[in-house]
Amino acid sequence: MERLEILELVLNAIEMTNNMREEDQQIPRESTTELYGNNGHLDSMGLVAFLIDVEESLLDEDLQITLSDERAMSQSKSPFRNVDTLVCYIDMLVKELPL
Amino acid sequence: MTVKNILITGSSRGLGKELAEHFLHQGYNVYGCSRSNGKIEHNNYHHFELDVSSATQVTEFFFILRKKIKHLDAVINNAGIASMNAFALTPPETFKKIFDINVQGTFLFCQKALGLLKRAKNPRIINTTTVAVPLQLEGESIYAASKSAVEMLTQIIAKEYGGFGITCNAIGPSPIETNLIKGVPKDKIAKIIEQQSIKKMATPADVINLVSFFLKPESSMISGQIIYLGGISK
Repeated sequence: MERLEILELVLNAIEMTNNMREEDQQIPRESTTELYGNNGHLDSMGLVAFLIDVEESLLDEDLQITLSDERAMSQSKSPFRNVDTLVCYIDMLVKELPL
Repeated sequence: MTVKNILITGSSRGLGKELAEHFLHQGYNVYGCSRSNGKIEHNNYHHFELDVSSATQVTEFFFILRKKIKHLDAVINNAGIASMNAFALTPPETFKKIFDINVQGTFLFCQKALGLLKRAKNPRIINTTTVAVPLQLEGESIYAASKSAVEMLTQIIAKEYGGFGITCNAIGPSPIETNLIKGVPKDKIAKIIEQQSIKKMATPADVINLVSFFLKPESSMISGQIIYLGGISK
C-alpha cells in the first residue's frame, strides 16, 4: 500500500469520526491536522475509537496491523500526534509486514 | 432484516453448547470456538478451533472473522476452567492455566472484538463469573480470584466501551450440571445451594434467560452489572 493511499485511508477514518461528532467539533480532513496531545482534536477514548476505525479500514485492505501496542506507546514522540505522523507510522508498519 | 451475529467461546460442550444451540434456534449466526472440534451441525454455526488464551490465535481468528462478517452483535465469554484445590497445595502451573484461560481469554476477546462490535446496532459483551466469588468458597481460591478479575474487567470495560454503545455485563451461575462441576463432591454442591436464596440447582435455561435479557435492545442502559443466579449477592 502506497503512502498516499494510507493518507486517504486515514482521512476517511477522520470522516467516519466526524459523522459521530457535532458540527462545531469537526476534525479538519487534512494531513496537518493535530490528532492527540496538545491542540489535538481527540481525547484518549476518541483516539481509541479513531485508531480502531483505522485498523478496521486496514483490515479491509487485508493488512493486519495493531496501531496502539507497546511499540507505539514507547516512541519518544507519539505517532498519533497528527495525521502526517500517523501515516508515517502506518507506512513503516506496512513495510515491515511479511510479503 | 439483518441477521444477528453472536460469538460464543467454549461452545463445544456444556453451557456454551446450550447457548449456541439456543441462539441458532433463534435465527442467529453463531460463531463458536473451543480447543476441540465443534459438535454442532447447523448451517448457521461456524466453529473455530483455538486456544482462547493465545493472543496470536485470537488475533488470527478475528482477522478471519472480519472477512466473514461486518459486525458482531454480541460476544459471550463462556470459556473457562475451574480447579478445586486447597490454596496451600495449588501448583503454580494451575494458577497460570486458570488465569490464562479465564482472565486473559476474556481480555483478548473483549479487546479484539471491539472493532466488529462498534458496527452493531446494540452491541453486547457478556462475561462469565461464578458464585464462588461472593461466597468466597474454600478450595476455589484461584478460580474465584480469576473470576474476580473478570468481574473487574467487566465493570471497567463497561465504562470504557460505554461511549461506543456497548454494554458489558457478567453472569455468575449458581451450580449447574456441567463438566465444570463434575469433579466437585455432591456434599459441597449441597452446601453451596444451602447458601442460596433459591435453594435448587440452576439449569442452562436460567442462564439463557439472563443472556437474552442482556441482549434485548431495551437493555441498553444496563451495563457493568454482575448478576448471580440463585439469589446470591455480594
